[in-house]
Amino acid sequence: MSALTTGVKRFNRENWKAYFLLFPSLLIFAFFMFWPFIYTIYLSFFDWNMISPTKEFVGLQNYIDILTDPKSYNIFGNTFIYIAILLVLNCVVPYVFAFVIDMVLKRFKGFYKGALFMPAFISLVVGSILFTWILNPVSGPVAIILGWFGLEMPIWSKMDGWVIFVLSLITSWKVFGYNFIVLYASINGISRELIEAARLDQVPLWRIFFQIVLPMSSATGIYVFIITIVQGLQYVFTPIKVITQGGPNYASSNAIYHAYHEAFVLYRTGHSAALSILTMVIFLVLLFIEIKFVERGIYYEN
Amino acid sequence: MKINRFVSIPWHLIFIATIFILIFPIIFAVGSSFKSLQDAYNNVLNIIPIQPTLENYQIFFNSLPAIQITVNTFIIAAVVTIFKVITSFLAAYAFVYFQFRGKTVLYFLLISTIFIPFTVTMIPNYLIISKIGLTDSIWGVILPQLADALGIFLMRQSMKTIPMSLIEVAQLDNLSHVQIMRDIVLPLIKPAVTSTGIWFFISSWNEYVWPVLILKTTDNFTLPLALQMYISSEGGTNFTVAMAVSVITMIIPLALYLAFQRYIVGTFTSSGIK
Repeated sequence: MSALTTGVKRFNRENWKAYFLLFPSLLIFAFFMFWPFIYTIYLSFFDWNMISPTKEFVGLQNYIDILTDPKSYNIFGNTFIYIAILLVLNCVVPYVFAFVIDMVLKRFKGFYKGALFMPAFISLVVGSILFTWILNPVSGPVAIILGWFGLEMPIWSKMDGWVIFVLSLITSWKVFGYNFIVLYASINGISRELIEAARLDQVPLWRIFFQIVLPMSSATGIYVFIITIVQGLQYVFTPIKVITQGGPNYASSNAIYHAYHEAFVLYRTGHSAALSILTMVIFLVLLFIEIKFVERGIYYEN
Repeated sequence: MKINRFVSIPWHLIFIATIFILIFPIIFAVGSSFKSLQDAYNNVLNIIPIQPTLENYQIFFNSLPAIQITVNTFIIAAVVTIFKVITSFLAAYAFVYFQFRGKTVLYFLLISTIFIPFTVTMIPNYLIISKIGLTDSIWGVILPQLADALGIFLMRQSMKTIPMSLIEVAQLDNLSHVQIMRDIVLPLIKPAVTSTGIWFFISSWNEYVWPVLILKTTDNFTLPLALQMYISSEGGTNFTVAMAVSVITMIIPLALYLAFQRYIVGTFTSSGIK
């Protein structure tokens, strides 16, 4: 026992070794994450076009501009529509799928898991161009099949509402598999005895899902909830950039794409920086909500 | 466990339909890439080309430095993967097996960067890369990609599954940290390291947002950027060439996935990610 304590003590005295191991990561993060983060906050108080040698200090003007521009409400509105659709397609649906594949079905589980995860490995640029063609409203295969039934496909890339829905669908194609696998892992870790007992008592499946599975996998559930919003919104950038460039008339733009547009198309770094900071604050609020949930005693699998 | 057929059959149908929607684009791309443009327009629903042709692949190889582009994509993905796997492993080891000042704060600081949208660091990173003269070079694409905390998180999770007593015994035997890493920790978490590595490789291979800002000349392009050149919002007249480039872009990720499928799905569904 005393030898063991010495071992642990030796660990403690070797602090410098820990910093040595962390050094490469910290160096990279300092240069390409922490410093840029601080510099973006700094830029959000200045008016600058990225080329001019001088930056003009404007205080909170960039933030005021964004919060008073009616276009911003359009863009934040779009952002929330994207979030809502992505949450249904990439959080709710994979949750139900993971539950059914793990606990309800007996056959083809491995095949389903493998096939559902596959698109997660393919470039979203590839996905965007494939779906642009497959969903082409005139000559794409879906339009042709709908034509057999006398149905017409909406010209989705030019229509408000539709455009967001289709771009979210394309993004979900890519994001779905990863979220599904993570949720499956969590549900798979729930004690079988409890489920068996509930089954023997003839508890209906939907109650097993809501009253056992959902609470017992909630830590992972919240993780997936948050990455669906944070990562999902960033993934949507690719189909927007490739297919619509935010159009028609900002109808498909979201907070992430618009920050890019302000910086690298309009060269208004101040607006872009302020918008990014505001977006991040929204994400942070979500993160705090998560921490609060955890404090309330979320069930952790391990 | 008894499962009602009336419950399971509709679910099987739902899964098969979903998988069809997910996989159909891939099959469609492969089929169209071997069609002539006319064939692609006239026989949209015939997935298998009537007169297979390599024309689209030839157009890509003749109009752009296709081999150079593929090599660029590979080098960027390989460098990013090797670097991130090593730094993440070392950092995770420090977080699991050392007690030091600021450990919790540092870990929280690193992990919270997963939740920072890329737009927050985009402008300063662009300025840094310009300042050190790396715009339009593969190093300009590589460097900012290295700041990614996901690997630290994943490897720390799997290291925590190794019984602490094993490490303590090794300490008593006076094994150095290098020996513990190499002979105990690494072999035990090898599946997690491999899967994380494959995930890094594929993410970098498919990376689009950052290269599109940095790379200007076609000689330095990566595959997703080359692909973008054949896109217009209406589907475009180079549609079949775009399908050929899509197939080339998909081959390596899909081959890796199919080769390591059991392994990857296994790691992701074991204690790997939680």
